[in-house]
Amino acid sequence: MKEEKDKLSRRDFIRSGIRGACLLGLGGVLGLFYNRARANDLVWQIDPYKCIQCGRCADNCVLEISAVKCVHNFNMCGYCRLCTGYFNPQPNALNTGAENQLCPLGAINRTFIEDPYYEYTIDESLCIGCGKCVKGCYSFGNGSLFLQVRHDRCLNCNDCSIARACPANAFKRVPYSQPYVFKEQKG
Amino acid sequence: MKLSKTNLFIGIIITVSIVAAVAIILRTAMTTDRKTTIGNVFIYDIKEFSKTDPGLIKYKETGKIKTGFQNPFAIAIDSGDRIYVAGDKSIRILDAQGRILSNIKLIESPRCLNIADDGSIYVGMKEHLEVYNSRGTRTAKWESLGQNAVITAIAVSGNDVFVADASGKIILRYDKSGKLKTNIGKRNPDKGITGFIVPSPYFDVAIASDGLLWVVNPGLHKIEAYTYDGDLQASWGETSIEIKGFSGCCNPVNIAILPDGKFVTCEKGIPRVKIYSSNGNFESVVAGAESFADTVGIYNPSAGAEDSTKALDVAVNSKGRIFILDPVEKTIRVFWLTNRRT
Repeated sequence: MKEEKDKLSRRDFIRSGIRGACLLGLGGVLGLFYNRARANDLVWQIDPYKCIQCGRCADNCVLEISAVKCVHNFNMCGYCRLCTGYFNPQPNALNTGAENQLCPLGAINRTFIEDPYYEYTIDESLCIGCGKCVKGCYSFGNGSLFLQVRHDRCLNCNDCSIARACPANAFKRVPYSQPYVFKEQKG
Repeated sequence: MKLSKTNLFIGIIITVSIVAAVAIILRTAMTTDRKTTIGNVFIYDIKEFSKTDPGLIKYKETGKIKTGFQNPFAIAIDSGDRIYVAGDKSIRILDAQGRILSNIKLIESPRCLNIADDGSIYVGMKEHLEVYNSRGTRTAKWESLGQNAVITAIAVSGNDVFVADASGKIILRYDKSGKLKTNIGKRNPDKGITGFIVPSPYFDVAIASDGLLWVVNPGLHKIEAYTYDGDLQASWGETSIEIKGFSGCCNPVNIAILPDGKFVTCEKGIPRVKIYSSNGNFESVVAGAESFADTVGIYNPSAGAEDSTKALDVAVNSKGRIFILDPVEKTIRVFWLTNRRT
């Protein structure tokens, strides 16, 4: 008799299933509304066209290591043998020797592609967002390196301390749904 | 204890003073320019390399001509020393003193130009060539080199027209009717040709009086001489940020050849104009970085084709005067030897 009571009837199964589906649907709808509501939220980002690579992003962030990192638009990169974002202005040789590198933290990796082209990638765990490489690339090259706030670590402070220190007013609020301002090649 | 009027007055003054002081301190703290403290090692600085030894400067600026363009792109000089400037969807023709002789309206923005001995004006648009006669009438529109082509320079000699395509990294040799004859500079290790490395759209070509075609290989910081059939004859150029060499991803950006065979080179990054002998030995400086605005030589691909270039262009006249197109000042700056024999 007891065993029969514990056994789930078909009606109970269907009822539980419908209840579960309703809960799931409600969760989905709430999630959708939440995401839509967040899409209108604003996050901090750097306008790469205004940035003057002054170095303040590196030491004005409230985080111990700045949330600003160098990013690379490979579409614009010339894959140069002598990358002025990678090499110091007067390198001894065009190789990966530390003495030849512009970045004091060695946060850029140089990989041979085919003669004479090289790919440059950023090691974000080492980058502090000082913008030294960005200025080097901008001064001589195509400007494919630029600074961006990385949202996996940015605290999105209401009053961003880097924005306050930025002399170029390059910090701006952008929609949560489009949190990055990428450089692109035109024409 | 009764508060006297004097004590009350002093109390008010002290309170107001404290409030004012706090307000001033807070305001100063909020508005003071907080400079970076990360140290010089994190600051990109090439000022040291931008200084020019005054002893090396052998030219002086003798004149300045306003182009009247918002975006001047290129300069050329014909055999009669008339000056042609391309920019803002037109070509302006000036006499040697800078007086406007005529203006040719174009449909598109020109990127480069050159003048044939018969007075025909070859104008490079982004991906095709147009030919105008000396009266400004278009006589031909050549077939497009392809949507991705970026024409950066033209050289004309006899019946040959050489077109530099920075995107294709190749020099195309046409006849004057626009028929493609051959291409020059394609990588060929058997012939010792490394191929052109063109990271940004600066890829110049010029013809010397000895009949050789001199092509800038900017990614290798070299200037290479080819026969019209594409055989590599010579090359010169040294990678160095010092005054004798070329630096950055891609330099020189533009060249011209003086009547005595010497080369005039323009650079970006550190904008400077220099003279090299016909063998490629550094000789002197026409204008150092001090002569130009900081923004000269900065390439901005995001600005679009019409406003992306801020690099110097150069042309020379039959007397050896050097005409530098300064895209930031939007002027033609005329330089001549300081100790010339008149």
